Amino acid sequence: MKVAFPYFGYDTIALKNFLEMLGAEVVLPPLPTERTLSLGTKYSPELICLPFKITLGNFIEALEAGADTLFMAAGARKCRFGYYHFIQETILKQIDNNVDFYPISQYTPFEFIFQKMPKIFSVSPARVMKSINFLLAHSRLIENFRKLVRQARVIDFTLASIHEKHALEIIADAINLMQIRKARKEIKALFNFADDLPENIIKVGLVGEIYLMLEPFANHDIEKELGKMGVLVLNNRSLYRHIKHLLHIDFDRIKLNHRAYKYLKESPGGEALNTVGEARTFIKNGVDGIIHIFPFTCMPENIALEALQKMSDDYSVPILSLSIDEHTSKIGLLTRLEAFIDILKRVKNQKAVSRVPRSSLLTPH
Amino acid sequence: MIKIGIPRALFYFRYGEFWQHFFRNLGYEIVVSPSTNKQILEQGLKYVSSEICLPVKIICGHIEVLKNQVDAIFLPRFVELNHGLYTCPKMIGIVDIAQIQVGNACEILSPKIKDNFMLAHFQTGLKLTGNPIKVIKALNRAIPYLSHHKKLSNSEDHKQRILLLSHFYNLWDDFIGKDIINSFQSCGFDIATKEDLPDKVLKSDKGFAKNIRWVYERELYNAFQYYSDKVAGICNIISFGCGPDSLIGEIMSKQANEYKTPFLQLIIDEHTSKTGINTRIEAFSEIINRNYQSKPYLTK
Repeated sequence: MKVAFPYFGYDTIALKNFLEMLGAEVVLPPLPTERTLSLGTKYSPELICLPFKITLGNFIEALEAGADTLFMAAGARKCRFGYYHFIQETILKQIDNNVDFYPISQYTPFEFIFQKMPKIFSVSPARVMKSINFLLAHSRLIENFRKLVRQARVIDFTLASIHEKHALEIIADAINLMQIRKARKEIKALFNFADDLPENIIKVGLVGEIYLMLEPFANHDIEKELGKMGVLVLNNRSLYRHIKHLLHIDFDRIKLNHRAYKYLKESPGGEALNTVGEARTFIKNGVDGIIHIFPFTCMPENIALEALQKMSDDYSVPILSLSIDEHTSKIGLLTRLEAFIDILKRVKNQKAVSRVPRSSLLTPH
Repeated sequence: MIKIGIPRALFYFRYGEFWQHFFRNLGYEIVVSPSTNKQILEQGLKYVSSEICLPVKIICGHIEVLKNQVDAIFLPRFVELNHGLYTCPKMIGIVDIAQIQVGNACEILSPKIKDNFMLAHFQTGLKLTGNPIKVIKALNRAIPYLSHHKKLSNSEDHKQRILLLSHFYNLWDDFIGKDIINSFQSCGFDIATKEDLPDKVLKSDKGFAKNIRWVYERELYNAFQYYSDKVAGICNIISFGCGPDSLIGEIMSKQANEYKTPFLQLIIDEHTSKTGINTRIEAFSEIINRNYQSKPYLTK
């Protein structure tokens, strides 16, 4: 059984190790490229959102690489994401009739532990739970690493990208809890040059749809590009938090939902409440701007967009909304980002000038 | 006298009569916004992002028309219906958008409907009047109008039938549906809609329909399954940016291919021209006529 699943940013490593712990042989598709996207777009419905197209492209390339069992997150609720697998399955069955396609419902953790996984891999539920425990630890390590590398990019971009490669190797090699603990220390030591950040740095909070926020191919490596411009990106979304949420042990979410209540009284599905709540938290913690990224025609995020615009007026914090589809060009995106960062810099300088008390300007030193 | 405004968009086309009778029985003045026209749509475009689907843009226009004329706008928040089936993210979020749009100009009455349609209306009535008996009486008198669905009257002679598959808020809106219905009728077709079917068929959860957790998509899909071998052709009207339709429409078009039923997908937005739609419908009617000659059993 050769298992494959779509890419999910850096957290792909954690998911890969998780499946390997259950005894599967994982065949990762080649890293997503333009070809992935054009393959996905070719077979997709016309009006569907971007994650569908990229994940479908991933699946097709995984089939080419020799995979025969495919996993996809599912769980039909208000958002379209839960319905992806119905159409993806029919499309993939047309391409290769022998493929096994397993939709994994996100909202039924007990079924996942006690029925689905033991049946597919013929392992005991205890082993599944052990693997989930490992997955949590591993994805937490990756969350940590991403936080460190975001800071390091601001200080020294070249050094950060060298260390990033090294750190990713360390993360991929960690296959038990002891090694994860060791890896955490090693990674911390790697990035210790970025421990104290300069004070007047531009901080930008990234919010939006989880796939677009985590998968660098989908978001055109927005975090890296912002890091190159010397901007500190704050991103609170990760696989670790998502799994915690699915296991009903993420208590931060309650706080976020509470914060979002001022703008959205009821969850429109997807991650809209999370987006609004995070944005408000970022603003409270004093970011200079918010970048809101979501797939074109995303239903929940479009509702969140209206709330964010109101928030932008209320707190006078600039918000940039990026709606991404397969035709979005990286250059166009970069131009918009640069212009946005220029605005943030100007606003910040004006604030700095106005904050200096009048009297101190008048008195000669 | 307190004036309550009801926008003539979205849910008005299913619950409008019920709402009008309910509030009239309670003793309030009802102001229903005029039918959608170009100006109303343009007003709505100012308030929502361009990616949102056409019906939501239209309802924002209606709210804009109403907000300075009335004391409160009635816009319930439909979250769940029919035992845990969801409506759609935009229908849930539209109340928040309206709240932002209206500001302090007037109040928005938005009872949350989570499988408790009557209770939510009862609470609203109670909040307005404070007299439970009066509210129950008003509800009782309004209930018969819940099942009044708008239907198209078809001619007596046996013409070919076509299924117009779309949400009620697209089909019965004068700005969206009227032209399409007229075009089909002038091409010489009888039109079947999902409103002609009994609730039992629409709400059934047999086959693939049980996987669909969007209440209105399930209705569309069931109607499609019911009619797929009884009509000469199917026309599916989708508004650009509609998420549920983009998936279920695709599934239906694939199945229609298997059944060899002619299937036309019309994607509409605020820029769609009447002429373009007419041309496509005429071409589609040609296809049906050709298909029809080879399948004479498709008569009513």
